[in-house]
Amino acid sequence: MTTTGLEPTSQGRVRVRADRLVLYTALVVITGLFLGPFGWLVLTGLKDQGELAAAPVHWLPAHVEWHNFADAYRLVDFLGYARNSLIIAMIYATLVTLSSAWVGFGFARLTAPGKKTLFGVLVGSMMLPQMITLLPTYLIFAKLGMVDTYWPWVLWGLASAPYLVFLFRQFFAGLPRELEEAAIVDGCGYAGMFWRIFLPQSWPVLSASFVIAFTWTWGDYIAPQLLLSTDRSTLAVAVMTRYVNSAGTPVANLQAAASVMYVVPILLVFLVAQRGFVAGMSTSGLK
Amino acid sequence: MTTHQLSSVADPPGPAADGGRTRSAERPRTTMAARRHRAFYLFTSPWIIGFTLLTIAPMAFALWLSFTTYDGISPHWHLVGLGNYRELAGDPQTWKALGRAGLFAVVSVPLSIIAGLALAVLVNRPIRGRGLFRTLLYLPAVVPPVGAGIAFKNLFDQNSGAVNGVWTSFGFDAIGWLADPYARYVLVMTVLWAAGNVMIISLAGLQDVPRELHEAARLDGASAWRTFRGITVPLLSPVLLFQTVTGVIASVQTIMPMLLAPVPGTSGLTTIPQSDYTYMIHVFSEYFALGRYGYASALLWVLFVLILVATGLIFRFTSGVVFYNVDPEANP
Repeated sequence: MTTTGLEPTSQGRVRVRADRLVLYTALVVITGLFLGPFGWLVLTGLKDQGELAAAPVHWLPAHVEWHNFADAYRLVDFLGYARNSLIIAMIYATLVTLSSAWVGFGFARLTAPGKKTLFGVLVGSMMLPQMITLLPTYLIFAKLGMVDTYWPWVLWGLASAPYLVFLFRQFFAGLPRELEEAAIVDGCGYAGMFWRIFLPQSWPVLSASFVIAFTWTWGDYIAPQLLLSTDRSTLAVAVMTRYVNSAGTPVANLQAAASVMYVVPILLVFLVAQRGFVAGMSTSGLK
Repeated sequence: MTTHQLSSVADPPGPAADGGRTRSAERPRTTMAARRHRAFYLFTSPWIIGFTLLTIAPMAFALWLSFTTYDGISPHWHLVGLGNYRELAGDPQTWKALGRAGLFAVVSVPLSIIAGLALAVLVNRPIRGRGLFRTLLYLPAVVPPVGAGIAFKNLFDQNSGAVNGVWTSFGFDAIGWLADPYARYVLVMTVLWAAGNVMIISLAGLQDVPRELHEAARLDGASAWRTFRGITVPLLSPVLLFQTVTGVIASVQTIMPMLLAPVPGTSGLTTIPQSDYTYMIHVFSEYFALGRYGYASALLWVLFVLILVATGLIFRFTSGVVFYNVDPEANP
């Protein structure tokens, strides 16, 4: 970055401009590097099978093979897998959001002996390595005959998730006490207070929690891979393992096209939910 | 952060204030308090029950399995006491896999924190379009592991990958990035790709740094680097500690090598290159390639204890360094 093209009206201004130019160049280059892997995935998805074997590398497809996307869609039951992913993600996200709000309300608004210890365990459990508990959990679910059903996601959803409980707790703890008094005057019990007064107030956290939980489940690979058979499995598993030829080697261009179709919905959900997401993060106290 | 810091905000000005201090002489108040206690346990029961059944019970089950030769099929399994633990301690494979996992954590966690922090500082500058840069830089962190794995497999493919495209255009020979000994570098890069996570959380912290501190430093003639080291980093230290702990835990249990393997998924565990064969992959191999549930459970418990110890050590060694900006006057 040189400053030679700039009129030296005043030294300070030139420096500020040069600074800015360096900053922008750096940002554009870095952003390009970060988007590169995804851009290359899209390009791979648009190439012909033969082109992928050619040397040197074809940077752009000689002919844009849009039909790869249709082929990827037809090669496996893409829609069926997407539906499975959607069902599991909806079940889990709905249940875990409601159960976490319920538990979060308890930690924020109620008290009993042992509360401090329980809250400590809750926060500590956020740091438990989940992959470690998943393997024995898988063995137990297998013993209980819950393999190849969606019951594990129902149970995980009902059990609430520490991170989301924490989000709700922070939110409910910040609401004014008058809300409780209003509920008591109305003759509500605690359940009624939660359901009729506190829950409707918490829609920003509700939606953030739902989006977070949905994204987790849509992105999860290992739990459905272990717990579900090929036909009932999710899109993540199908995209990873089903795009292979008879020799078991991945068909790179169709797999790339399929993974673009798998990833884009999540990116869109994120972009739409972004505002609430960032707001939720900065109020969570987890920063 | 965690319990320590959180306890300063743990008790909201709610009904908690009078809890436990009710005098037993006043009947109605006691029943009120009892009702409230019951309600607390009613509300928190989904988590208590769920945590017991879905976390504690499986871990206890794994602990018990670790003392047996159970394999899920043979009815002739038996107790072996500490036999599995003795076997794993004597197996060089365990130590190599552990070393690879440790090295991966030690390299990838600091790198991604430095990268994320640098990005946060860059996009915190008051420039046009910084919102767009923030979003675009964070986007890779939203891509699910499967998408990231496939993207990096294609990017680093020996024949059709863009990286070798650039590399060979300089006249070098194509490199098998996804095989030994290079696979580990690709693994680290998948972590760096998601540095937007650190960026977004650090950014929230950066915006909390009081403006006056920067002004004061500038008036004192401090350089930008000194201001960064002396003011920004200490104020961000709780965030960085949190990132370190979660980063280490995430890196130790990553299954990314499975997604980068020539044959993906649990059926391709044997195709994972040696340099990507981390401890977690070793556990999966013992579970699913060999079906040795007992032995694999012992491996799992060793990892679990090691993670707890590592987390404890990180907190211990940073307790004097991490700076919690809590003003006792401002926070009742």
